[in-house]
Amino acid sequence: MKYREEGAKWLFAIAACTSIAAVVLICVFLFANGIPAIKEIGILDFLTGKVWRPGNDKYGIFPMIIGSLCITGGAMVFGIPIGIFTAVFMARYCPKKIYGPLKRAVDLLAGIPSVVYGFFGLMVLVPWIRELGRSLGYGGSGSSILTASLLLGMMILPTIIGVTESALRAVPEQYYEGALAVGATRERSIFLVVLPAAKSGVITGVVLGIGRAIGETMAVIMVAGNQARMPNGIFKGIRTLTTNIVMEMGYATDLHREALIATAVVLFVLILLLNAVVALLKRRDER
Amino acid sequence: MNVKKRIIILFMFGLTAGIIGGCGTETGAHKKDITVISREDGSGTRTAFVELFNMEEEVEGEKVDMTTVEAQITNSTAVVINTAAEDEYAIGYISLGALSDNVKALKIDEAEPTGENVKNGSYRIARPFQIAVKEGSDNKAAVDFIAFMLSEDGQKVVEESGYVGSDTTASYEKKEISGRIVIGGSSSVAPVIEKLAEAYKAVNTKVQIELQVTDSTTGMSETISGNYDIGMASRELKDAELSGGLEPQTIAMDGIAVIVNRENPRDGLSSEQVKGIYSGEILTWDEVEE
Repeated sequence: MKYREEGAKWLFAIAACTSIAAVVLICVFLFANGIPAIKEIGILDFLTGKVWRPGNDKYGIFPMIIGSLCITGGAMVFGIPIGIFTAVFMARYCPKKIYGPLKRAVDLLAGIPSVVYGFFGLMVLVPWIRELGRSLGYGGSGSSILTASLLLGMMILPTIIGVTESALRAVPEQYYEGALAVGATRERSIFLVVLPAAKSGVITGVVLGIGRAIGETMAVIMVAGNQARMPNGIFKGIRTLTTNIVMEMGYATDLHREALIATAVVLFVLILLLNAVVALLKRRDER
Repeated sequence: MNVKKRIIILFMFGLTAGIIGGCGTETGAHKKDITVISREDGSGTRTAFVELFNMEEEVEGEKVDMTTVEAQITNSTAVVINTAAEDEYAIGYISLGALSDNVKALKIDEAEPTGENVKNGSYRIARPFQIAVKEGSDNKAAVDFIAFMLSEDGQKVVEESGYVGSDTTASYEKKEISGRIVIGGSSSVAPVIEKLAEAYKAVNTKVQIELQVTDSTTGMSETISGNYDIGMASRELKDAELSGGLEPQTIAMDGIAVIVNRENPRDGLSSEQVKGIYSGEILTWDEVEE
């Protein structure tokens, strides 16, 4: 009996170590390959350079950093309000009959592979936005910041809805009833009492969504246009950090290849920062 | 509704208006903007395209690819075709072998992009698919495979794969040979070689062929150092590579087709106009004479 318990303990310990080892390995690989390239290019030239022309050894990724932020920001504008409202509807207003299908639909949305989203974007959203852009007089080919933002907004919905809904359900019923009892309307009770009480969960959901948006590649590569220059209006395209890596990895050699790995380092640091912000927000929240 | 909320809503409206207004400084002028589609840096098709249209210019002692930064970039031929099929103002370029019916291939300098015209040299936008062996290499199986590729049977396989072969009548005679061939290099050439290898294996079952897909430059340098028996390149060999002792042979030609939407009224462009469009000097279709 004792051996069994000991054995189980070690098994779980090994499992825990595997995931940590994976993170450590990725860190080591990224930094070992990326840092020398950043040094060779020059950290300022690399981070603030506006020209990306690997054929001439010009590696400036500033447009891509801005591109990633732009598209992620756009995705938040579309995704967060719709996501939170949907979660409120599901947790508070939804009749039982609709709830089952709705919940399943949202789960399905999460399960669709990103390349399928990309294809949908290419075939449906791009022509739409192209028509819109041209009829408004802004031009553009439809592969644009706006298209990518819309598509990513859709993709982050299930993450935001799922986490927000369970956070809302975790708020004690007394809060809601108490608010109603002192004379608040239903909407006021939900948005001024229940939602703030679930703040920490909502923030987590939003940040997970942002994480997905900033790291998304396959869908973005098909609808964003991928021009490596500064943003030029929401109806024009842009290249993100992720698509930059994927597009050029196939043919890249030497410094070009290392510069792409260095791009991944920047992406990694961005995500770390994001996580740090969440941790900070949560800690302040707990106090 | 309290004051705070009103301010927030006003702010949101302002932000939206600002974003849309900010990029609309030249409203109306962009209506017929050409959607330029290009391949990614380092792609063999892009390299060949840029060279064939003389789009490299010397800037501060370095050769610079002058493709406009406004060009949409993709790493897939399918996306180029799809965009051109959907967008009536689009222009793109693909390998002639990949051409499909839902887009229109333009004449360049009055020459129709067909296999026939690539063969007789009137359609100039073409690149050779080359294989190279090192001088004095003694791999008999490799010599035999090359003889097969250049024979009538081999060239038929090339034509069937959508590329342009030569009208050779040399017939291939089966020899009793066994051995192993390592072939490596350009990812553009690899699909043809794969088809050729399949056809060859049907004739000569004892020869093993190993295909390693890298790129033209690696293919040549590895052949010089002896790691590949046969190297593949989707371009002419450089002087340094020839002086390294490589003997090149062209197994096929691949035309590059400049494609537009089927609704586009133009049937052809001059190479100067294509260059103008791709370098960003010509921005709208109105500037291109029909």
